Amino acid sequence: MRSKMTRVILAGVLALVAMGSVFSASAGAAPQWKFNGTALTGTEDIVGAAISSSLTIPGMTTTCEHFLYNMKIENAAGTGKGSITELPLFECHTASGKCTVEAIGAKKLPWPTHLTTISSNQYLIVEGVEVGILYGGAECALSEVEILVKGTAGGLISNETETATFNSSTFTTTGTKLKVGATAIEWNGVFPTEGFEWHREQALSVG
Amino acid sequence: MRIKSRPRWLMALCCVTALAGIQAASASAHTGEFAKFNFCPSTTTGVVKCINSVTTGGEVVLGTKKVPIVNPVTIQGGLSKATGGNRTFFAATNGITLSKTPQPVPGGLLGIVPPEKSPPLVKALSAFFFENALTGVNSTLELAKPASEIVLNEVNLALEEGVALKLPVKVHLENPFLGSKCFVGSESSPLIWNLTTGTTTPPKGTEAIKGFGGEAEFIEEETLLKIKNSKLVENNWSAPTASGCGGILSFLVNPIINSMIGLPSAAGKNKSELITTSYLATTTSVNNH
Repeated sequence: MRSKMTRVILAGVLALVAMGSVFSASAGAAPQWKFNGTALTGTEDIVGAAISSSLTIPGMTTTCEHFLYNMKIENAAGTGKGSITELPLFECHTASGKCTVEAIGAKKLPWPTHLTTISSNQYLIVEGVEVGILYGGAECALSEVEILVKGTAGGLISNETETATFNSSTFTTTGTKLKVGATAIEWNGVFPTEGFEWHREQALSVG
Repeated sequence: MRIKSRPRWLMALCCVTALAGIQAASASAHTGEFAKFNFCPSTTTGVVKCINSVTTGGEVVLGTKKVPIVNPVTIQGGLSKATGGNRTFFAATNGITLSKTPQPVPGGLLGIVPPEKSPPLVKALSAFFFENALTGVNSTLELAKPASEIVLNEVNLALEEGVALKLPVKVHLENPFLGSKCFVGSESSPLIWNLTTGTTTPPKGTEAIKGFGGEAEFIEEETLLKIKNSKLVENNWSAPTASGCGGILSFLVNPIINSMIGLPSAAGKNKSELITTSYLATTTSVNNH
């Protein structure tokens, strides 16, 4: 009787250990910023311009021809972290053209960022995102109204192309969301990542 | 005699035709999705947007009576240019800015007990009208002030903060015994609803309630904004005593209604919750369709 109970408890413990390892594998070890394969020490500025970027409220897509960013990065306590300090956006327009973009800009900068691993892929999580957009246009249903896009964004990092890609799939995987009020917003963007200060022209990777 | 009567007949016909003409002029025949703005004063100076908002659910708690919204209520009209985010209303061209849609009061006013000192006639009438399941009571929301007193803030509506819709209303209680002038609230003493899609700020001791900004969607190539399933809430409004209930017997019936509903009812004791789908467009878009 006692040995049977011991076997049951042992099996339970083994199952828990197995489950624990599965969870830790999916959550992943904290990734770090690396230049030429070496973990970054100190800080570095990453500057880039989106290869493409658009923001979609259901039924209306706003595209910016020039979507720049400046992110300060570091490895702190073994984890890649950072903060987006600048995010200038230029030449923005909507798909139909009925709504014009009178003003657009990031608010409440800097936005903290950190790296995370999910299912062996590396992601960049941007927190505290807040972008204000003022639309205009005689026929634009949202004219004269400044909307605020708020939330958290998760993008997939590719070491091969040295880019971070944000789309509905990466948002779902990272459990992040951008919203205007209660309405979910889709953000599609591909951002090259490149060291700008101490590590120019060095391969930037995450791992 | 006959010759005299013909011009009168003709005059009457002319009047009817003219009236019909006026009626037709007050409604614009917009097409497709924009037909919902047929009664927006879209050509009136100062109107820059049109709104059509239909409340299909929710409830109004007035004192001790809870009335679910089971029949759709429409708010429609024009909107001014925004000042500090707020837009004031312009009345709908058909005069129905807020539709007078009756909502049945569950249980009617069953259980109503006139004061002991009431005359036998009042007791008998109360028993006949209130203790009869066939004679229910309807509650109809009506505007207590001109449409220009309604204020909409679409930014607050979407962003779930601040007052999204300020609505001065009165509640019309309808029942054969109550007569046609039984109201809670009036033009001089309206029920002021400062509705929010965010979180309410009721008096101490009353739990705050949370609204919902709804799901926004652009249709018709960004020219029409649909916000569906917004939940507008407010539980910081007070209600005065009822007035005009029971016609000539109002001096007896008003106190009965007050006692039954718990009026006057202080802020925090009442609640409004409106589940609403709204459509917004600029007058340029509306007039182009």
